[in-house]
Amino acid sequence: MQDLKESHTDSLPLAGYRVLERSRGAATAYAGRLMATLGATVILMEPETGSPLRQAPPWLDDDEQQSALFAYLSVGKRSLICNLETAAGKQLFNQQLQNADIFIDDTPVAERETLGLTPKAIAEKFPNLIHVSLLPFGATGPKADWDGEELNIVHAGSEGYLLPNGFAQESFPERGPLKMYGHFAEYQGGVYAATAALSALWSAPVSGGQYIDVSSQAAVLLCGAYAMQRLGDGSLEHRATRKFRYGGVFKTADGYIQLLTLEDRQWQGTVELMGNPEWAKAEWLQDPLERSRRGDEINHHIREWMAQHSVEDIVSKAQELGVPAAKYRNPEDVIAGEQEAFRGLFETTTLENGQQTEILLAPFRFKFSPLHFTGGVPALNELAQPTRAGDINT
Amino acid sequence: MSTSKLPLSGVRIADFTIHNAGPFGTHILSQLGAEIIKFESNARPDALRKPHAVYGRMGPATFDQVTANKLSVRLNLKKTEAVDLAKRVVAISDIAAESFRAGVMKRLGLDFETLCQVKPDLVMLSLSSCGQDGPDSHFAGYAPLFGAWGGLGALTGYPDGPPVEIRHVMDHASGYHGALAVIAALLQRRRTGKPQFIDLAAREVSSAMIGDALVMGAMGLPVKRPGNGDIAMAPHGVYATAQDDRWLTIAVRNDQEFLTLLNILEKQDFATDSRFNTVIARRQNSAELDGLMTQWLASCNAEETAEALQVAGVCAHVSWSTQDIANDPHLHSRKTLVNVDDTSNPDRLAVGSPAIFSKSAEVGVLRGTPDLGQDEDYVFGELLGLDRKQRQDLEEREIIF
Repeated sequence: MQDLKESHTDSLPLAGYRVLERSRGAATAYAGRLMATLGATVILMEPETGSPLRQAPPWLDDDEQQSALFAYLSVGKRSLICNLETAAGKQLFNQQLQNADIFIDDTPVAERETLGLTPKAIAEKFPNLIHVSLLPFGATGPKADWDGEELNIVHAGSEGYLLPNGFAQESFPERGPLKMYGHFAEYQGGVYAATAALSALWSAPVSGGQYIDVSSQAAVLLCGAYAMQRLGDGSLEHRATRKFRYGGVFKTADGYIQLLTLEDRQWQGTVELMGNPEWAKAEWLQDPLERSRRGDEINHHIREWMAQHSVEDIVSKAQELGVPAAKYRNPEDVIAGEQEAFRGLFETTTLENGQQTEILLAPFRFKFSPLHFTGGVPALNELAQPTRAGDINT
Repeated sequence: MSTSKLPLSGVRIADFTIHNAGPFGTHILSQLGAEIIKFESNARPDALRKPHAVYGRMGPATFDQVTANKLSVRLNLKKTEAVDLAKRVVAISDIAAESFRAGVMKRLGLDFETLCQVKPDLVMLSLSSCGQDGPDSHFAGYAPLFGAWGGLGALTGYPDGPPVEIRHVMDHASGYHGALAVIAALLQRRRTGKPQFIDLAAREVSSAMIGDALVMGAMGLPVKRPGNGDIAMAPHGVYATAQDDRWLTIAVRNDQEFLTLLNILEKQDFATDSRFNTVIARRQNSAELDGLMTQWLASCNAEETAEALQVAGVCAHVSWSTQDIANDPHLHSRKTLVNVDDTSNPDRLAVGSPAIFSKSAEVGVLRGTPDLGQDEDYVFGELLGLDRKQRQDLEEREIIF
């Protein structure tokens, strides 16, 4: 087994911290990924068949062997096979936990007792460990045994019921509610679990190790807490009514844009953007409340104008005029984006099969500790092998 | 056993954030026990202090989630003496957080380099729409624009429809990432004793939410907007039930779960149907299967079916409204939902912590939204040592304003 030398990550924010991850779902994997990119050594403890996420879509090959999701969520991590149903696996697990600061786990509650993964069993052996459980509905409460994929979680956390809104909802009012792309709700569970874990590390000199029970449902609910605030104000939100009175999503000659005019000056800028048309000179349009009341009329005019102009022309002129407007960009636009290139949002790394590609690094930058991937996408059990291609310090 | 302290007890944050994304980030840190000193002013009232007619609120908010737990002091940052007082607060804080457009803090004389002169090991978070540098760094934006720029909006929606506006959750996802980065920087400061500046771009959080699609794109592979569908799982959808606007979400991962689903729905005849009896077959015939699921579920009771499926081991949940959530015993038992003090509504619920800590004191929403300037005795009096006369003078000259 290799030593984990971490001199190449010394300058990163979480340099020196070790995290063990047992993940089946995207939530836990995202928590580990964030901590790995921040500089922690994150070790995936995988079953002999590999993490289920290695087979998760979308796939980079026709054989469904290379998962783009796994690549995104595991780049920079290490991999060890650890079968907790064998004595050797248990021993390896305990050895690894001995040196770990954080253990994050999404094993279903019902399976924890036999695998020795209950909070009590872990705390008895490793009193200084931060032990994080991350499950769709948490590990305690009446629904602790409920399971959920992203589709279920985002709808259990209320944001699903409120989507789509605006133009998409108006276009298909009879259709049902909608999930967001990908793993949004699970990622909120992941980022929150990582935050809770690090806050417990911060307080470890006072509190020592402890167990933290995190729920992805609750994390996405907190993320959408404004709807609960509105309920307290006496208003139950619904996707059909949660829309900006005017502005929103518009179809242009060559794509979609988002336009928002929350401030009066932004409305004036929008009128100028459209070349001060006759209809916009009506007296009632001077009154913001009247504009809200007759938003549909306004949007009808804006739609007609938008359909005749190109996205790039509209957006560049709008930003000059101080009108918040943005193109609905596809993945290709984001990858080719000048802003993204300037800020180094993507970094070249190595997939498990040796191919090079660019992967999004992190949505934040640390001025004195530029983040970087500390390794590629790990092959199964690579940490148990004598060397790993591309590994630094081996 | 519970120790009396919250995880971030003793951490103090000078909070210059406005709108939603930044304030949500510091709210998360407040839920974990950090002390947040929020700067605001009558010269430029925070959104919560004003009517919000677009959303039907005709006066100031009595409760504002992202401001809950925070301390409020007034400082009119257009005045030099107010900026000096803000610096004195930063000097006794661990963290400064802001969410103005790039360049505004420098114009105010409160940029990172300046603040480091009074607090040499400062951790500072700047959260903005496009980041502090680059050709788009001057762009103004709100949550739906972050969603549009970053790619999440275009990939969300019905496959044959337009993109979808991503609302407050886009702000708040950005705040979550800001909170994480801040604690990582605090841990780094503990180790190095050095300052750190975090530059978070909300549009990049939007991109991080589609990180798998961006790997596909970088490899030259197409990504389709999936709606409620899934490439691997079938059935995987949101289905109408017998009750109006009561939709049931179901995700079936494998053959065993599919057989269980057929049992619960009493459609065992389909177990051997070659269109559906393997994962691959179900994927290939997912549209047909969705049609059948729509028929089968049309007469079902949503909650009862979800419960039966879950007990049998199939992922299912009703698409819940906020009212459903407010009524949920599970969320109440975890104290995810908590009652807060509110003069307008004594039964008002707020969303507390998604986590339960075994040792730290109870995290979450411990107090409601502060009145404007309600904590000045503590901050200006106790912490900065200003006496009553000095404060009165500063108020008269609209510095504390």
